[in-house]
Amino acid sequence: MHEPTMTYLQGQVVEEDIPLTLAELCHTCGIAVEHVTTWVVEGVLEPIGQTPQEWQFGGASLRRARLALRLSQDLEINAAGVALALDLLDEIDELRARLAHSGRG
Amino acid sequence: MEFKDYYGILGVERSATEDEIKRAYKKLARKFHPDVSKEANAEARFKEVGEAYKVLKNPETRAAYDRVGRQWKPGQDFQPPPDWDAGFEFSGGDPGSANGGNFSDFFESLFGGRASHAQTHRHAMHAQGQDHHAKVLIDLQDAYRGAQRSISLQMPMLDAEGRLTTRERTLNVSIPQGVREGQHLRLAGQGGPGLGQGPAGDLYLEIAFRPHPHFRADGRDVYFDLPISPWEAALGATVAAPTPAGPVQLSIPSGSAMGRKLRLKGKGIPGDPPGDLYAVLIIALPPANSEATKDAYRAMQMAFNFNPRADLEG
Repeated sequence: MHEPTMTYLQGQVVEEDIPLTLAELCHTCGIAVEHVTTWVVEGVLEPIGQTPQEWQFGGASLRRARLALRLSQDLEINAAGVALALDLLDEIDELRARLAHSGRG
Repeated sequence: MEFKDYYGILGVERSATEDEIKRAYKKLARKFHPDVSKEANAEARFKEVGEAYKVLKNPETRAAYDRVGRQWKPGQDFQPPPDWDAGFEFSGGDPGSANGGNFSDFFESLFGGRASHAQTHRHAMHAQGQDHHAKVLIDLQDAYRGAQRSISLQMPMLDAEGRLTTRERTLNVSIPQGVREGQHLRLAGQGGPGLGQGPAGDLYLEIAFRPHPHFRADGRDVYFDLPISPWEAALGATVAAPTPAGPVQLSIPSGSAMGRKLRLKGKGIPGDPPGDLYAVLIIALPPANSEATKDAYRAMQMAFNFNPRADLEG
């Protein structure tokens, strides 16, 4: 805590550097494997790889998984509902971004 | 401490049925969920609504709350009467144990005492500590250049008696160049302590950009409004513009319309590939506040046979 010289922690950018395995994603989000597999079936998450053992979760997976977890816990939405909500949220984000790009409003 | 009117928060009558309370809660929870809602105080409202429902959905806690509630008005200074909950039996599920706290002082004073016991039991085993998550705000410039930042985090912790408290800790973190909004920075071993001989968990920092008065990021790309004069738009010009990567000279093509986007390739957030920077042209009208400037507008009126509303007709 009181080192004379400041050391700065070096982190890794998850989305760029480290695709997560199924087990890692579950541990990181604190969720059960069944949750993640259902979300994959519903298309909430799109890992690379055929079998769950080979799955690699990259890109927006971590953010989407955490969002899916919050929605399903807080609002008691089932997996299909979570998938729909995430699709709609993506669409809203895209529309908001387009609105912001067109300048002043 | 203020007395909280849980019925008022959910917008239901004191005589509401369980179903009515549940419906009211569900509706408000969807409305104020911080991931969904863009209302300014969504997170606070969501917590408040959740707290109200937690108490009112359970017949035992609702009855206890009703007994206290008869003597107070919303907002009134509140002290729980001694033995207020005597005679109520709370079955297994402690009202305050879910979600690890974050309830109001009012809630904690009534239901908090029992809340923490459930969490204090730890199995004697070795396992990796929990991964923790936090959101950090950085400046857009930090993503362009990389930066070293001190970040303060509030960590919920259980104290020796099993009560939930928060501890603040400061981490010095290197922000890598090229990081984008919504990405996560993993700091190995900075999460929760391991159980037994297990290693500590990791800390994940979700990156968000502090709002900038001029620049808006969208993934790798960055946008800003570039005001130009009507003659610069009509005749073309070379103008100086500040960018997060430093000042640049931009050539405005003649005949540029409002809203035209000029792309500065590769001047967005650095990376492989780097993003682009877009200047969105805004045409600023000079005020006619002197005889000379009014004459200039009159001269324009004479020179142009211009009807901006031509499209509205017919």
